Amino acid sequence: MKDLLAHADEIPVTLVLAIAYATVAILTRSIGLEFAPSDQLFALGSLAPMDVLDQPWRLLTHAFVHGNLVHLAFNLSFLLSIGPALERSMGSLKFVALYLVAALGGGIAVCLVYPLDGAVVGGSGALFGMMGALVAWNMHSGRHLFAFLEFEGPRRLLSMIAVNLLLGFVIPIVSNTGHVGGLLAGFVVTFLFLTPARRGIRSRRPWQVAFAALFAGLSFACVQPVWRWDWLYREATVATGERRQALERALARSAATAPLGPDVDQAVAQQYFQVMGEVLDVLRQRRRG
Amino acid sequence: MADASEAVAAGARVPTGLPPGQRVALLLVWLAAAVPVLLWLTQRGDPELAVALVAAGTRWLVRLAIGAGGLLLVAALLFPPVPAWLRLRWHELRLSLTSDRGPLLRALGELQHFASAQRHYEVGRLALLRREFAVAMPHLQAALQLEPQMAAAHHQLGLLLFRHGQLGAAAAAFARAEELDPGHAFGDALLYLGRCLDLAEHHQRAVDVLRRHAQRHGGNRRSHYWLALALQATGDRAGAAAALAVAAAPPTQALTAEENWFRALARVRLWRGAGR
Repeated sequence: MKDLLAHADEIPVTLVLAIAYATVAILTRSIGLEFAPSDQLFALGSLAPMDVLDQPWRLLTHAFVHGNLVHLAFNLSFLLSIGPALERSMGSLKFVALYLVAALGGGIAVCLVYPLDGAVVGGSGALFGMMGALVAWNMHSGRHLFAFLEFEGPRRLLSMIAVNLLLGFVIPIVSNTGHVGGLLAGFVVTFLFLTPARRGIRSRRPWQVAFAALFAGLSFACVQPVWRWDWLYREATVATGERRQALERALARSAATAPLGPDVDQAVAQQYFQVMGEVLDVLRQRRRG
Repeated sequence: MADASEAVAAGARVPTGLPPGQRVALLLVWLAAAVPVLLWLTQRGDPELAVALVAAGTRWLVRLAIGAGGLLLVAALLFPPVPAWLRLRWHELRLSLTSDRGPLLRALGELQHFASAQRHYEVGRLALLRREFAVAMPHLQAALQLEPQMAAAHHQLGLLLFRHGQLGAAAAAFARAEELDPGHAFGDALLYLGRCLDLAEHHQRAVDVLRRHAQRHGGNRRSHYWLALALQATGDRAGAAAALAVAAAPPTQALTAEENWFRALARVRLWRGAGR
């Protein structure tokens, strides 16, 4: 800690992130061993695919909110152990960009995979992004892309990633989806954008443009998840008049795409959708206090 | 047939930028990026359609993946070159991922201080080795403009053109390399000249060139396989079978991925009754 403060001018972003983690934890009262109430977490930026529809900023804010003291301590210690070296290596501006993109990547992955009301909090997606960034950084700094595997440190980094992912699969409350999303986003953004271009190579530009477009497309899919049957039903329940009736008729026809299966009776399907809609509404109201 | 010097002067066209495999990957990334927008546009007409499309698309993707896996398995069992092909591709992938770019960067750096035909050639050769074709082409052309008698540059340019299917220009480049330095690169220029002639439908000339290569340089599995193809095209089935038998002979020592690939191809042709 003494070291960190002594070199505070070299790692301002890491320190600001650490302070932000702690401040938000105090504000959400998630400094006990119990998980903080969901309305508190919601108030300061937790992420559920349903909420992103109206509040896309939650794709980022969830990376500053933590559920309880253990969650906070784990992520804070991780940030303070990996962040300073990375920030010194790549510079503060790039480090900010990396954190935000990795957080966004984690949020996007959650939105694409989770049910509409499945909520997550925590900066671990962004922290996994930092590990992905370290891998990309190492790949670019060697004689060839995999030269870093000859060294003990980077090999340990890979095993650390593997162990953390494994833990994510074993511990049920951990959102490994967010971890994987953050890891990939951190790796890609560092590999394509944040490392110095190799001289004489111009082939990175098409990849940069394509991945930027992919990122934009996936973000759009989070805000407009028109491909989800639960989103479609939500639209149906909030729609009014003719459009609502049309949507409900369409929903009755599309029972095959719902988990009820293709042989379900239309009347049963409509009842099911109605109940689901009410449940979603109740959930939404509860989450918003 | 085009002359190599003409090809150089005209700036023979080689597709610049990304190699085909990367282009396909890039296209897939763009498709994935476009899907959300396309689905959004779709749902504006019919809200149900976007959901149904994704559900069906997911189902088909899973089926496709399972089908492709099954097909690969069946192909591996029924069509023996599959393991050899996989080994060859794996070897190439490993080579491309682990080849050192340092020498190429150094050669490019040296070129900035003083340009000479030899230095241009060196950059071209190293870039070709790393499959950076867009980098290789202008440097090989520059080397030949500065020193038209450089056999090695003609050879490398031939390889680059051959890879991009410009057979006429490639054959001319190989012929020039062989003319300037007979037996250049242990007969590699002669071997590729034969292959170019065969692919350009000059089968009898190809047979002559490939036989000359075998006489002078001993031949290898690739040259015997190519000779067999040329002989088969001229109608000499017995000669083709004999060449295939040499190419498919059991190895006495470990084969490289490339030798193994040509041996596998030769074996399959023999099983299919080539030469009978």
